[in-house]
Amino acid sequence: MAALTQIFKIPDSIKKGAKYSFCPGCDHGVAVRLVGEALDELGLRENTIAVASIGCSVTIYDFLDVDSLEAPHGRALAEATGIKRARPDKFVFTYQGDGDFASIGMAESMHTALRGEKVTAICINNTTYGMTGGQLGPTTLLGQVTTTSPTGRNVEYYGYPIKIAEHIALCDGTAYSARVSLDSVANIRKAKQVIKKAFEIQLHGLGFSFVEILSTCPTNWKMTPQQAHDRVRNQMMEVFKPGVYKDITADRN
Amino acid sequence: MTECLTKTGKKVLTKGNYAIANAAVIAGCQCYFGYPITPQSEIGEFMSGKMQELKRGYVSAESELGAINMVIGAVSTGVKAMTSSSSCAISLMQEALSYAATDELPVVLVSVMRGGPGLGNIYPSQGDYNQATIGGGNGDYKLIVLAPSTVQECVDLTYKAFYLAQKYRNPTVLLADGMLGQMMEPVEFGEYPYPEIDNSDWALTGAKGRTSRVIRSYGPLADDRCVFLKKLFEKYKTIEENETEWEEFNTDDADIILVSFGGPSRNVKSAMKECRRQGLKVGMFRPVTLYPFPSKRLNELAGRTKKFLVVEVNMGQMVRDVRLAVNGKVPVELFNKPVGSPPEVDDIVNEVKRQIKE
Repeated sequence: MAALTQIFKIPDSIKKGAKYSFCPGCDHGVAVRLVGEALDELGLRENTIAVASIGCSVTIYDFLDVDSLEAPHGRALAEATGIKRARPDKFVFTYQGDGDFASIGMAESMHTALRGEKVTAICINNTTYGMTGGQLGPTTLLGQVTTTSPTGRNVEYYGYPIKIAEHIALCDGTAYSARVSLDSVANIRKAKQVIKKAFEIQLHGLGFSFVEILSTCPTNWKMTPQQAHDRVRNQMMEVFKPGVYKDITADRN
Repeated sequence: MTECLTKTGKKVLTKGNYAIANAAVIAGCQCYFGYPITPQSEIGEFMSGKMQELKRGYVSAESELGAINMVIGAVSTGVKAMTSSSSCAISLMQEALSYAATDELPVVLVSVMRGGPGLGNIYPSQGDYNQATIGGGNGDYKLIVLAPSTVQECVDLTYKAFYLAQKYRNPTVLLADGMLGQMMEPVEFGEYPYPEIDNSDWALTGAKGRTSRVIRSYGPLADDRCVFLKKLFEKYKTIEENETEWEEFNTDDADIILVSFGGPSRNVKSAMKECRRQGLKVGMFRPVTLYPFPSKRLNELAGRTKKFLVVEVNMGQMVRDVRLAVNGKVPVELFNKPVGSPPEVDDIVNEVKRQIKE
């Protein structure tokens, strides 16, 4: 009888016995796991300080087995900056939603990128404020119905959604900016590589690194998990195109 | 500004703002984050050069929101860090102060008061007594608040602010005013006089060889939150028992006791001396810690004196704490100036005479 080979394992960077509190079909769970795997594979768990933000993303400290600080809404990158300036030898990353990163925290986000702060930001873009019940956010698509855009997002009242990864790529201090999707196995595997790349950029001290993760919110979108992933693929990825928007190491590859 | 770094016991002449900044450097402040606002911008200017020279952390923050949250980030790793600001800009920091108090983080904030409300003006003021002692953040929390009255005390209480913040893991405010920030006086810096506090049992340093730590304020379960808040207020009780500080002069036989804090208390002291010269039985009481407030001592004194006269440069803020302390035993009157330099000594003396006659 051939020896058994372990092909699935919960990463060391995920707390033992952690029970995800995310809704069924929500991609947060996949994203947290990818972050955990990346921390494991780069051997970072014991040298990491994570910053949680406000929204569904606040709960990452219940799942990730790393030292964590909870930031007020929008301030995650200010706190990450403080941590990194105090302890430049630590690996520091934030885990934020699109509302946290690109609405209430826009000043902190842009200035952290402009300063080239040697930290990484992971931003979950699900086109809505999930924890508060599905209101219009900075990334809500044109036409999208939310509880505060009952007839759909129109330009007259709400203006346009922001393409975060493209904007962050424009900052001179940004070393790496990319957008990924979790709508398929292939894209999940790509996302993992992108997260690892962003972490490595920080480890090499090259500047600010950023990953925008397109994610589902089946509860607030009022969809099944399958319908929600179809929406990511057919609507979100049309506007928020996955790709690497800046990589200062690209020439060296 | 290197002359400010004299630690030989020699006196140097310097501005309050530089004195605070230099004291922070001597206290071991590893990171300074700030955003400019008059009348305290010299603190950030001094720190920008000094921290880089010493290879410590410095960021010209994008806003006061950024600055105070950077301080939270830095102190969460166990190092000493601070920001400084003034009045309307400290309003912007209230959210973070609520988090820092709840997270029990040793944030040091220097507040150099100017005129308010709103944009107000850049004259000295004591209009942020309530902002510092009661606070504008949400929920039940306390900040330790120290009020210097001289440039030397700006140094001494900056040291103390770092120490108390560390000792109690509680945000601590040095509440100065524009007059103290801008005036020059001879000061001695000396060495940081307090012991270093071991942060290794709670600071975020990476979970190497130990369980991971979380610093959080989110408490979704009501019962847990009740337990937490009761514990937090036990800490405040300990602070009140151990750290309440004040000065009093001629209170033993005083018919009337003047109560004043910060820079303006110096004119009040002169007025008290002048009253004594004229044969009037006048005493003086100066809270050094505004939280914890010396309520117990004021209540004791209320049993001996006939009246308190609170002198402050605002519309009457500390007077409420004095009234609560005295609890109706004797009258507590207010002599205030809304904003600007402290009331003139002669005006205070005349008010004392008027109050004695009443």
